[in-house]
Amino acid sequence: MAKLYRSREGEATAVDTKSQLTTLGSETAPGPLLVPSGVSKLVQVIIASMENFAAATGYSAFIRLEGSGLPDGPEVIGCLAGGVPVATGGNASAKAIVVPFKACKVTPGNEILIFAEMAGTDVGQVSVGVTLVFQ
Amino acid sequence: MTKTMTFEGDLATVDSATGLTTQGSVTAPSNVIPAGVTKIDAIVAAAGAEGLADGSAVFFIRLGGGAVQGGEQTIMISAGGRIAVQSGSDAGPSVCTALVLEDVDIAVRASDTIRVQAEMAGSDLGTGHVVVTLIFA
Repeated sequence: MAKLYRSREGEATAVDTKSQLTTLGSETAPGPLLVPSGVSKLVQVIIASMENFAAATGYSAFIRLEGSGLPDGPEVIGCLAGGVPVATGGNASAKAIVVPFKACKVTPGNEILIFAEMAGTDVGQVSVGVTLVFQ
Repeated sequence: MTKTMTFEGDLATVDSATGLTTQGSVTAPSNVIPAGVTKIDAIVAAAGAEGLADGSAVFFIRLGGGAVQGGEQTIMISAGGRIAVQSGSDAGPSVCTALVLEDVDIAVRASDTIRVQAEMAGSDLGTGHVVVTLIFA
């Protein structure tokens, strides 16, 4: 079976708060991310994330995968950490990370909810994009 | 058999699917899947912005068109962020190296066309720039 790539993105704007990723750029309401038919496992998770450097502080960030599409329960994956000593001059880019999963079971037709969260201190905003790779 | 296909383009606005249809000096490269291949085996992609505006954003690509089986495929590539510097200071550069995805395994139909698009999502960081290489096998 070939692989299928499904994505969502959004922002975490408060510390220690689950923020669901529900959009995909120009698609403001793509609907629930359902496990495609014909697949049996999640084999990779691709995560792109970066802060906006609006506060002179540091943080870490991670994503949560939840929902009935994951019969073995939720998964949590760290993706970013950093900070800036002044609120006048942060500037960075980072390529996405590719997280390998050997065989995370999924249930076709069921939903996977994706959340982003920042921890540590509130840096202002963290943009997070997640791609789930099914096979 | 391995064949490559590269497209690049600029993202003028946030949350707007933008077709990548050029290749520098080649203004209209072919988007027809080469004969004899069955899948996208690897992807090399880089995306970033010059950072003319504050905020944070992610960059992703969309692969669609008649050649792509299993529906449109969306893949996150990178993310960027910036905040304005003090008056009189210069901002540092922000460079994102390419992401290389191996064993991509997206099924395609040879001799049909592929649509490659990119988007910046989140804050509008200015003009985004994206280059994508598809490696077929």
